[in-house]
Amino acid sequence: MAGRVRPIVLAAVLAVAAAGCDEKLSDVAGPTPDLAPTLSSIQREIFNTTDSSGRIACIQCHSDNGRIPAGNLVLLEGRSYAQLVGRASSFKAGAVLVVPNDPDGSYMIHKVEGRSDVVGQRMPRTGGPFLTEGQIRIIRRWIEQGAQND
Amino acid sequence: MKYFVRGTLLALTLGAMTVPMASAQTADEDPDLEVNVSQPDFNLAALPTNLRLPKGRFAFRVTHRFARPLGEGDFGSLLEDFFGFDSGAQIGLELRYGLFRGAQVGINRTSDRTIQFFGQYDVKSQQSFPMGVGVWGSVDGTNNFRDSYSPALGVVLSRELGEFGAVYAEPIWVNNTNAEPSELVDDNSTLMLGLGTRLRIRPTVYVTAEVSPRLTGYAPGDALVSFGLEKRAGGHAFSINFSNGFGTTMAQVARGGTSFDDWYIGFNIARKFY
Repeated sequence: MAGRVRPIVLAAVLAVAAAGCDEKLSDVAGPTPDLAPTLSSIQREIFNTTDSSGRIACIQCHSDNGRIPAGNLVLLEGRSYAQLVGRASSFKAGAVLVVPNDPDGSYMIHKVEGRSDVVGQRMPRTGGPFLTEGQIRIIRRWIEQGAQND
Repeated sequence: MKYFVRGTLLALTLGAMTVPMASAQTADEDPDLEVNVSQPDFNLAALPTNLRLPKGRFAFRVTHRFARPLGEGDFGSLLEDFFGFDSGAQIGLELRYGLFRGAQVGINRTSDRTIQFFGQYDVKSQQSFPMGVGVWGSVDGTNNFRDSYSPALGVVLSRELGEFGAVYAEPIWVNNTNAEPSELVDDNSTLMLGLGTRLRIRPTVYVTAEVSPRLTGYAPGDALVSFGLEKRAGGHAFSINFSNGFGTTMAQVARGGTSFDDWYIGFNIARKFY
């Protein structure tokens, strides 16, 4: 009887262990450990605030509070979704800032990655620190999943 | 959770070590001591078989998968490199122990610093059932069992073909095969079906073949395929094999081979201490 119970116990231990084996998103997110692939999280951790690397908040320039928004783009809370998703770039003809399910086709990604095809400077335009590879990976995942207003 | 997994595995290992060593036994007292000519070893190239390890006994295995693709360069270059044997290799060292009758536990470390703890229990043998049925459980941990953990659960179904060898079907689920956090990927687990055979072509010579197609979930590259020629000599088994990847632990097998265009030479040497 004991011989039959032991493998079941072993299987149960493995099943429990399986539940906790995933890698941590915070290890990827780097200077914004709470960053997740949702718009609300990106808004809070990237658009609204600086982070421990010293990267400036996007809304420092992309705001119409007492100023003309840089790039004619407002990333304030409650407005960023409509400003980004499916909206054409003001400076590059034919480019769309965020194309749901297509991060490589989203001009916002080109801008934060600093690709050679961008008009103007890599974002943030302060010359760095830029978003880390992990932070960009998480934003790309939000777009891959349909760029929901979540 | 990391400490829970480590603690559990440590307890299992210590438990195995504290089981009293079996005294000198004969095949009459423990039929598992008899040579099984249809299933002479515990693995094909990488997939497990249903060979039982006698209680209190050990078995050891070393695996080599040389890193040079056999199709790289011309034949002269391949010959100069002695078919890839001069190149680097992924090396695995494995020790297993018969915990109690029909049950075995073991540890396997590969030179990419993956450590796998595993256990297998023989639920049904072909003597009392149309096929052998074993239950497999393992946990892979990368970076010397400190980084990424991939537990696996599966069933090993075997059918011995008289004394001519055996065929295998092994549905196995491996969790956390994708090294990225689940929030960033579509699939984080793999369900695969290991299919394999060992055919006895001479009294102590076998051909082996296995393929592990992924049925659902994370499936990069192509399915891992291996085939080889094996010689049994007493308690030793030596096999030379050809694979399209380097995987020998369950998570490595689930992640597949590089591609069907690249083949690598390798070998396994196994030794039973009974």
